[in-house]
Amino acid sequence: MAVPIFVIRQLHVAVEGREIVRGLDLTVKGGEIHVIMGPNGTGKSTLASAVMGHPAYQVVSGQAQLDGQDLLSMSVDERARAGLFLAMQYPAEVPGVSNANFLRTAVNSRLGEGHEMPVIKFHRMLMEKMKKLSIDPSFADRYLNEGFSGGEKKRNEILQMGVLNPRIAILDEIDSGLDIDALKIVAQAVNNLRSPEVGFLIITHYQRLLQHIVPDYVHVMMQGRIVRSGGRELAERLEAQGYDWLKQELGIEDETVGAPA
Amino acid sequence: MEQTMAISPLVMDISARFQEPDWLRQRRQEAWQTYTGMEAPRLEKTDLSRRSWEISSLTNTEKSISVSTQKVLSKLQGQPVVYIQDGQVVSTFVPDSLTRAGVLLSDLHSAVVEHGDLVKQYLNSVVSSEESKWAALNAAVWVNGVFLYVPDGVQVDSTIHYIYEFTGNAAGGAPHSLLVAGVGSHISFVEVLLAGDNLQFGKVHSDVLEVVAHSGAHVTVSCLTQYRKGPTHFTVRRARVDKDASMDWVFGDVGDGFTVGLLESDLQGDGARSTLHGFGLGFGRQHLDFTASMLHRGRYSESDIVMHGALRGRAYSLYRTSTHIFKHAVGAGSEQADRMVMLEPHARADAIPMLLIDENDVQRCGHAASVGRLDEEQVYYLESRGISRREATRMIVWGHIAPVVEAMPSAPVQELANELIDRELA
Ligand SMILES: Nc1ncnc2c1ncn2[C@@H]1O[C@H](COP(=O)(O)OP(=O)(O)OP(=O)(O)O)[C@@H](O)[C@H]1O
Ligand SMILES: [Mg+2]
Repeated sequence: MAVPIFVIRQLHVAVEGREIVRGLDLTVKGGEIHVIMGPNGTGKSTLASAVMGHPAYQVVSGQAQLDGQDLLSMSVDERARAGLFLAMQYPAEVPGVSNANFLRTAVNSRLGEGHEMPVIKFHRMLMEKMKKLSIDPSFADRYLNEGFSGGEKKRNEILQMGVLNPRIAILDEIDSGLDIDALKIVAQAVNNLRSPEVGFLIITHYQRLLQHIVPDYVHVMMQGRIVRSGGRELAERLEAQGYDWLKQELGIEDETVGAPA
Repeated sequence: MEQTMAISPLVMDISARFQEPDWLRQRRQEAWQTYTGMEAPRLEKTDLSRRSWEISSLTNTEKSISVSTQKVLSKLQGQPVVYIQDGQVVSTFVPDSLTRAGVLLSDLHSAVVEHGDLVKQYLNSVVSSEESKWAALNAAVWVNGVFLYVPDGVQVDSTIHYIYEFTGNAAGGAPHSLLVAGVGSHISFVEVLLAGDNLQFGKVHSDVLEVVAHSGAHVTVSCLTQYRKGPTHFTVRRARVDKDASMDWVFGDVGDGFTVGLLESDLQGDGARSTLHGFGLGFGRQHLDFTASMLHRGRYSESDIVMHGALRGRAYSLYRTSTHIFKHAVGAGSEQADRMVMLEPHARADAIPMLLIDENDVQRCGHAASVGRLDEEQVYYLESRGISRREATRMIVWGHIAPVVEAMPSAPVQELANELIDRELA
C-alpha cells in the first residue's frame, strides 16, 4: 500500500463557541515522526480530538485529510477504520466491556465483515503484544481501563495502537504518568512500529521521551497554531531554556488561546 | 355498602372445568368478592383509570410451539421442565431421580388433585388475595402455573425450568406458581415467560409467583420475561424467607408492555438473606412500573438489590427499589443500586430508591441510583477504535446487563436472553 499521508490545512476548531485551534497547517507522511510541544492550554489536545472527531469539538474551517480522503466528513469510526489512531490523554473507562472483547471487536471492525480474525489467532496475537509491553495477561479480561492506574491506561493505549496497526498514530501525552521503565517500553513499542507504513504525531511536554524516540520534526504550538518548527535540537533547547525566549522572539505575551469569552 | 353475593361465571367455569375441591371453589369466590369490591388503586406514576380489567376464559386454539420455546426445550432433554401455553399444559417432564427424592413438580391444577393438602396449606400464603386488586383477581381466576415442592434436606442439582408462553390468542391470563423449598433444601428454578407479537389489547394479565423458603433453604429463582404490548400486565413475585434461608432472584425483562410489577423478598427469619439482580430492556411504548423490594423482619437479615435498565424508543421505566427494615430487625443490612440509561431521545426513566428504617441498630444501609443518557465519552472512545456507534452502544449496554444474564442458572435461557437483547439492540 502507498505511504500514508496526513494533511491538515488552515484548521480552525472551536469548543463551546470559543476558537481554540486557529489556523493550523501540518503534514505527516509515513515513516516520519513529528512532535508537537507547547505550554499547557495551547490547543494540542484540541487539535488531536478534532481530527479524531470528538463531538465536543467543532471544526470551524480548514481541512484534514488522510491519504487524500476528507476526514472531516467521516464519522469517528470511519476515521479509525481509514487508519487514524489517537492515543488519548484521558482515555475513557468502560465498565462491563472486557479489554480483550473490546480489542477483538475493534480489530474485526477494521478487517470488515466476513474477514474477522479467528478467536484463537486473535488471542495469541494479543498475548504476544501484551507481553512485549509488559502488561499482565490478566488485563485482557479486565474491564476496559476501569481502575487502571495512569501508567496502565497509557500502556493500554499503546497496546491498542499495536493491535490496530494504524496508518497515522497521534499520541497525546503518552509519556505522562509513566515510570522510567514503562517510558522505555512504550518508546520501544513506537520504535518497533516505525516504518514507512505509519506516520506519528507525538504530543509531549518532555524531552525525555525524545531521548528514546528520535523525531524528524519538532513543532511548537502556541495560541492555537504552530509557531515554530525545527528538528530535535528545538526540543532540546526548549527543555533547557523553557518557552520564554521563543515567546520573546515572537512577541507573544499570552501563549494560551486566551481567556474564555 | 351493599353485599351482593355475585357469583362469577368465570370462576364457576374454571372450578367446574378442573373439578376443584370445595375449599378452592370457596377461596376463588372469596377472592372474586375482594376483587370486585376493590377500587383500581391510584399509583403515583401509573394511570390505571383507563385500563381494562377484562379477563375471559382462555381458549387456546393455536397449539403451535414458538421457535424460541422449541430451541430452549430442545436443549433441556432429560431435565425437569413444565411447559404451559395460554394456561394449558403442553408438556411436563420430571426425571425419576427427582421423583425418588420426593420432589413434586407439576402444573398447579394437577397438584391440587394429587397433593391438595400441600397446595391448600401454601397457596396464597405468601401473596395474599387481599393485598391488591390484581392479586385478588389472580386468586380468583388463576389457571395453571407450576407447582414445585422440595422436601427437607433435598438438594436438586439440575435447574428446574418452567416455560409459560402466551400467544396472540390469549385473552389475558392469570398463571399462578407455587414453589416450596423444604428445610435445608437447595433449588434453582428458572421461569421463562414468552409472549407473541400480537397480544390482544383491552385485556388484563395478572401473574403470581409464590416462593416459600423454609429455614436454611437455598433458593435461586430466575425469571426471563417478555411483557409485551397488548394487555395490562400485573405481576407479583414474592418469597417468604425463613431463618438462615437464602433467596437469590435474577430477573430480566425485554418488553414493550404496560406493566406493573413487584418482586419482593419477605425476610421473616433471623439471618435470612436475599439478593436481587435484574435488568430491563424497554422499547416501543413500554410503560413499566417496577418495584424491587426487601422486607427485613428478621434480625441480621441481609439484602442486596442491583437493577440495570436500558431504554429505547418511547419506552418509560420506573424502578422503585425499596428496603424496609422493621422494628426489631436488629443488625439488618441492605444495599441498593440502580442504573438506568436512556439510549434514545424519547426514552424516559425514573429510579426511586426508598429506605424505610424503623430499627436504630442496623449494620449498613446504602443506595445509589443513576439515570442518564449513554456516556458519550465511552461511545467516542470505542468509535475511535473503529467500532460503529451501534456496536459501541450494544457493547456498553451489554456491559451493564451481561452479569445479570450470566447469573441465570441455565445455558439455554441465557442464550435466549442474549437473543432477545441483541434483537432489541441490533
Ligand atoms: N471539552 C472542552 N470543553 C471546554 N473547554 C475545553 C475543552 N477542551 C479544551 N478546552 C479548552 O481549550 C483550551 C486548550 O485545551 P487543550 O486541552 O487543547 O490544551 P493542551 O495544549 O492539550 O494543554 P495540556 O498541555 O495541558 O494538555 C483550554 O483553555 C481548555 O480549557
Ligand atoms: Mg493536552
